[in-house]
Amino acid sequence: MAAHMTNAHRRFLQVLMSNRITEGSEARKLHQHCCETDKVYYAHDKLDDFISTINSHLQPLFMQIRKGISEDDGRAHYAVVNLAETEVTKMASDYTEMELELFRKTMDLIILSENGFASSTDILNLADQLKTKKMKKKEAEQVLKVFVEDKWLSEKNGEYTLHTRCIIEMEQYILSYYQDLAKKCNLCHSLAIQSQVCESCGIGMHLPCARKYFRGQTEPRCPKCNEFWSCDTPGVNRMGSQT
Amino acid sequence: GKEKANELHSEMSAFDSTAFAEDLLTFMGINRTEVEETNDSEDVPADFLPSHAWQKMGEEALKYFRRAPTFHYMMGSFKSESPVRKQRIE
Amino acid sequence: VDCIPTQVERHSQDQVNQKVNELVQFLLVKDQKKIPIKRTDILKNVIWEYKNAYSEIVKKADKILQEVFGLQLVEIDSKRHIYILVNKLLHAEGQHLCRGKEKEKMGLLLVILSFIFMKGNSVKDSTLWEFLHLLRVYPGRQHSVFGDVRKLVTEEFVPGGHPHPLTEPPEFKFQWGPRAEKETSKKDVLNFVAKMQGKEPAFWASQYSEANQGTA
Ligand SMILES: [Zn+2]
Ligand SMILES: [Zn+2]
Repeated sequence: MAAHMTNAHRRFLQVLMSNRITEGSEARKLHQHCCETDKVYYAHDKLDDFISTINSHLQPLFMQIRKGISEDDGRAHYAVVNLAETEVTKMASDYTEMELELFRKTMDLIILSENGFASSTDILNLADQLKTKKMKKKEAEQVLKVFVEDKWLSEKNGEYTLHTRCIIEMEQYILSYYQDLAKKCNLCHSLAIQSQVCESCGIGMHLPCARKYFRGQTEPRCPKCNEFWSCDTPGVNRMGSQT
Repeated sequence: GKEKANELHSEMSAFDSTAFAEDLLTFMGINRTEVEETNDSEDVPADFLPSHAWQKMGEEALKYFRRAPTFHYMMGSFKSESPVRKQRIE
Repeated sequence: VDCIPTQVERHSQDQVNQKVNELVQFLLVKDQKKIPIKRTDILKNVIWEYKNAYSEIVKKADKILQEVFGLQLVEIDSKRHIYILVNKLLHAEGQHLCRGKEKEKMGLLLVILSFIFMKGNSVKDSTLWEFLHLLRVYPGRQHSVFGDVRKLVTEEFVPGGHPHPLTEPPEFKFQWGPRAEKETSKKDVLNFVAKMQGKEPAFWASQYSEANQGTA
């Protein structure tokens, strides 16, 4: 087994667990804080090693601290995730069976949508079609609010998409469950819920990936078919736009 | 000096729950506004707690508990797995 | 009569270790709602045919909880074997470990535990509700943070093992539950009251001596 756990590792894990999702710079600060509190050797560039020590101890428990990239701003985030699906993990008590069914139906809508969003109207229309038990619209609204609070979904102007926390934990599950219906980013090859899609060949890219790729190009072209990239990529100065 | 001596007097050391409640309200940042003579809306209480009052109390409270953090997840909690995987219909 | 061979189940160390890992997961999942965990549930859901290795498995699970998570498995009822998880880290990052509603509930819980302790370890339910009235928390009326407070206390705090009702009709009394003793202490609670009231803990002589019993 790899390096041993210190109180700093345990403290870091405890906070990460209760944070649900932790932004990269916050995790780096927390790393320093934990090492200082528990008087453990600290090196600012050793966060990944620090985490892999914890992960080596979490592995037999089918848990992991996993890193993922936000589809909105491209920043790294960390979350403690569960990797197992067993009779024990099914005992989770956070949501009722009916709430979980609504979540999965919502996930269907989001993943099968063009842009990675599902409108609240469409989701609420599912509420009275649940197999487990019909849900009133008001009830469903409340449940959606909880999913947003718990960071499984995020909401923008009445449209819902998967939160980065959800993508970090469920990427493998989504890719295998939805197979070729789940889109992948043409640049980083990971799951893409919200993506920009090429009008001529249909490939998709994460917004932050596209932004990076098109940086410095005056006339963005699709990396696959070389057609003019018609989606507006905020953060990229293109021809004709103000500089 | 004098007050301290009074405090140490055994008669004084009974627990006064009203005073305790007042101190808790003060800690939570109660806004004690004077009751105005010309009070036209009788439903409005003379004082009110800010919305984050119990949040503040909770933050303080956690210093006194050895509470274990809890682990939450979504993956692996689905009770019924649909046997048919989603595939593109062509 | 045939001699029935005693089926002493021998399990390999790998199998036992797998059960240990399963138990750790089970304990973490069961702790999500902060409801104490019974031995019978552990046996039924995780250990079953490994019954003869029960204490070994529980001991090893506790060791992992301590080594990896800084948590400890504590038995709060040694007759019926009921357990809870508590934090073992000194100065745990309290402000991070609970959020939103949970944090606010902990505030109310500490206030209630303080009240019970300061009033001599047991209070009538009506006395508790009267006290909460002073804090603008009215049982039976919807509170903006806690909702139905009576329900919160009797259906969440009590089953969680914090305050504990003593049902001796016609009086209904609250005292500390077994979780309170493990998750906090009389000394901590007295320190909290003293801080709130701007006094020394020794100001309340009998509570002070009780809080320091067994810790000296
Ligand atoms: Zn990408
Ligand atoms: Zn293209």
